[in-house]
Amino acid sequence: MGYHLRKIAFYLAALWAAVTLNFVIPRLLPGNPVDILMAKLQQRGGSVDPAARQAYETLLGTGGRESFVREYFAYLGNLARGDLGVSVSAFPAKVSDVIGDSLPWTVVLVGLATLISFVLGVGLGALVGWKRGTWLDSLVPATTMLSAVPYFWLALILVALLSSGLGWFPLNGGYDVVLDPGWSPEFLGSALYHGTLPALTIVLSSVGGWLLGMRNMMVSAMSEDYVLTARAKGLTGSRVMVRYAARNAVLPSVAGFAISLGFVVSGSIVTEQVFSYPGIGSKLLQAVQNNDYALMQGIFLVITIAVLGANLLVDLLYGLIDARTRDRSTVS
Amino acid sequence: MTRSAKLTTGLVLAGLIVLFGLIGPLLTGDPATIRDIGLIPPGGDHLLGTTITGQDVLAQLTHATRGSLWIGLLVGVMATVLSGVFGIVGAYAGGVVDEVFSLFSNVMLVIPGLPLVIVVAGFVPADQRGTWTISLVLAITGWAAAARVLRAQTLSLRNRDYVAAARVSGEKTWRVICVEILPNLLPILASQFVFAVVLAILSEAGLSFLGLGAADSSTLGTMLYYAQNGFALQREAWWWFVPPGLIIALFGGALALINFSIDEIINPALRDKARRRGDVVATTPVVESGDAVLTVHDLNVVYQGASPVHAVKDVSLTLRRGEILGLAGESGCGKTTLAYAINRLHRPPAEVTSGSVVFDGIDVLALDPEELRRFRWVRLSMVFQGAMNSLNPVTPIRAQLQDVLRTHRPSMSSSDREDRCAEVLRLVGVDPARLGSYPHELSGGMRQRVMIAMALLLEPQVMIMDEPTTALDVLVQREILNEIKRLRDELRFAVVFITHDLPLLLELSDRIAVMRDGEVVEYATAEEIYLRPQHPYTRRLLASFPSLTGERGALL
Repeated sequence: MGYHLRKIAFYLAALWAAVTLNFVIPRLLPGNPVDILMAKLQQRGGSVDPAARQAYETLLGTGGRESFVREYFAYLGNLARGDLGVSVSAFPAKVSDVIGDSLPWTVVLVGLATLISFVLGVGLGALVGWKRGTWLDSLVPATTMLSAVPYFWLALILVALLSSGLGWFPLNGGYDVVLDPGWSPEFLGSALYHGTLPALTIVLSSVGGWLLGMRNMMVSAMSEDYVLTARAKGLTGSRVMVRYAARNAVLPSVAGFAISLGFVVSGSIVTEQVFSYPGIGSKLLQAVQNNDYALMQGIFLVITIAVLGANLLVDLLYGLIDARTRDRSTVS
Repeated sequence: MTRSAKLTTGLVLAGLIVLFGLIGPLLTGDPATIRDIGLIPPGGDHLLGTTITGQDVLAQLTHATRGSLWIGLLVGVMATVLSGVFGIVGAYAGGVVDEVFSLFSNVMLVIPGLPLVIVVAGFVPADQRGTWTISLVLAITGWAAAARVLRAQTLSLRNRDYVAAARVSGEKTWRVICVEILPNLLPILASQFVFAVVLAILSEAGLSFLGLGAADSSTLGTMLYYAQNGFALQREAWWWFVPPGLIIALFGGALALINFSIDEIINPALRDKARRRGDVVATTPVVESGDAVLTVHDLNVVYQGASPVHAVKDVSLTLRRGEILGLAGESGCGKTTLAYAINRLHRPPAEVTSGSVVFDGIDVLALDPEELRRFRWVRLSMVFQGAMNSLNPVTPIRAQLQDVLRTHRPSMSSSDREDRCAEVLRLVGVDPARLGSYPHELSGGMRQRVMIAMALLLEPQVMIMDEPTTALDVLVQREILNEIKRLRDELRFAVVFITHDLPLLLELSDRIAVMRDGEVVEYATAEEIYLRPQHPYTRRLLASFPSLTGERGALL
């Protein structure tokens, strides 16, 4: 099997696992989510007809009246149609609509912050590794310390200092609420302004991991023969550093993107909560606090698919930056 | 910081925080006592002030630290056991088990952890969300990365000779794993454990902050939750909000410092190195000599360290134009160090302590870094030991050849560059169509030819070849040697040829220097060395190789 086929097959397996996990969890755990949901629905003036109940049961389990297998296929069928159920907390909105409204905020915030953090961390890591034995070495413990700080705590301190204290940034939200969401320059500017501090938090907390990994690989790469050859060739220092040492040292950081992306996404959920950011993380917590199980499951699924998709993309790109993987036949 | 300083700082800091959590609660009274003195700043009876409901922050902090450490420990142990089972056992068993375990680990790895934990915590009713439940969920979502690292390491250990020997001799599987493999994995297990503890404390703090933590315990996360809901920061009650986060950060930082030290044990390359001094600390006045292209005079190279190693001792050599000088000696005799020092490629802790290297009138040891860079490859190129690793694995051959021209011939047009690269490849007998190939697509012999082509690019006066054919089979070796001789006759460059294979040098070289323990013990023409070896070591070297021509046997 070719490299790309193998990767796609792996991510399909992972997707299947996530979907199945999503199906199994509410059925294995204690509590009766469907009853809670129906009660909530009634409070909100929703219709409690048998059809609504059946829809939730497909999602969360019938308590043994239907066979597991039939439930499973009904659930898969609903997923395939993009039907994730109806949200209780945002009744009568459909879960897919709630997610559709909040997802872009998170994708842009987390995506940009991750990209900045990766580029910054890998760049600094390469430099720190290259200039070993200079004052730059102290960047490693300093940024590692930042990674050990809880995201939300750092976020709140930053808000207290920079927003409440100095008034440089807004306290919370994703944009100025007097503006109409759209593509107007005012709105985009406001969104950028509101997103800066959350993004800064994510970058500060995650840059240390990239930096340390890259620095260690850089140190290993610098003792490789091809770097010695490059030096003997009389190439300039920056060329040896970038084209030879860093070009090779960056491979594990790219390959390890999967692990790190999971951490970043997890951390940013809490960060969104701190900033009341209109993204999917805040919605997830809102769903949990309101026992909105359908929304909870839908969001977990979407987050997982987004992370899997990002990883698949990185893996496919990895084939481009390391020709050896395309020719290798074993799964690593 | 040195390794021991890092380790000490980390251990002391982590130890203090553990003591704070263990003993602190005994000394600080009941954290839940409500008083009517809300939000008083630190001082007096309440060293760290009080919360909005008048509870003592210090008392809360000690109990919360204990709670967080306990969860960290629980999760750390469980996650390490899980990763051990899936990583070590899978890799050791191999076959289908390994495939399944590794697929499972990889799937668990790409499914984002905290969202999963949040969903699970959301379904479990609050009254059933205990410390153990939360710990178990955190462990289940947190083991996969460690399993992957352990698997890779076990796979490499599994193939080591002593493990293979134990298996062949019929030792039980669990014994091989426990006795032969586990001890070697200890540093990695330790570092993964430390990492799991930090991650668990951070994740738990996040969960509790969101109000999804264990209902039956108070942790630093729950403390932050109450502080946030009591608007601690808005009321400027920093003493309530800052300490819990600071403890997490300090503990995480301390464990990170410990992990640095473990990393340095696992990977010696990461250890701190001595501050860089110059690569040349002293030289002796330059000695000119007639028609020589390269003169090395009384060169000394020392590896500085606790016990300095004098790798090159008072070596003097002269290379004439177009000559092939053979440098022979067993591994570790200093011949590679000498070759590197001539081009100043030696790295710390190696230093040139005295002597001179003169290249066609240029005092090499006196060049500044930029002059040295311009000197390299233009005047003197090198072909290294083991062509397998001398080429950059991630770029095509073309880029690596063109690099040289781009740097040293900046005015060359791109089509001229391409032509020149094709030309040198043809010179060494490699099809120019190979320019687009990556190193792994070429055979060992072809890679070495590419290296020689690269060394020819700028038509240098001297080429240093360090064991260029050692890793190749005899036929390829023969072809490449003939190639070198032919090219030398055509292009008239001089060669320093380094090898442990003296009979090969007899055939190839004009003159030969025999090195032993950093000294040149004999230096004469190839004919002299062959017919009248003077030094006993030379005679031993000659005797220990079966001759290429079969005239001189090992039993001489």
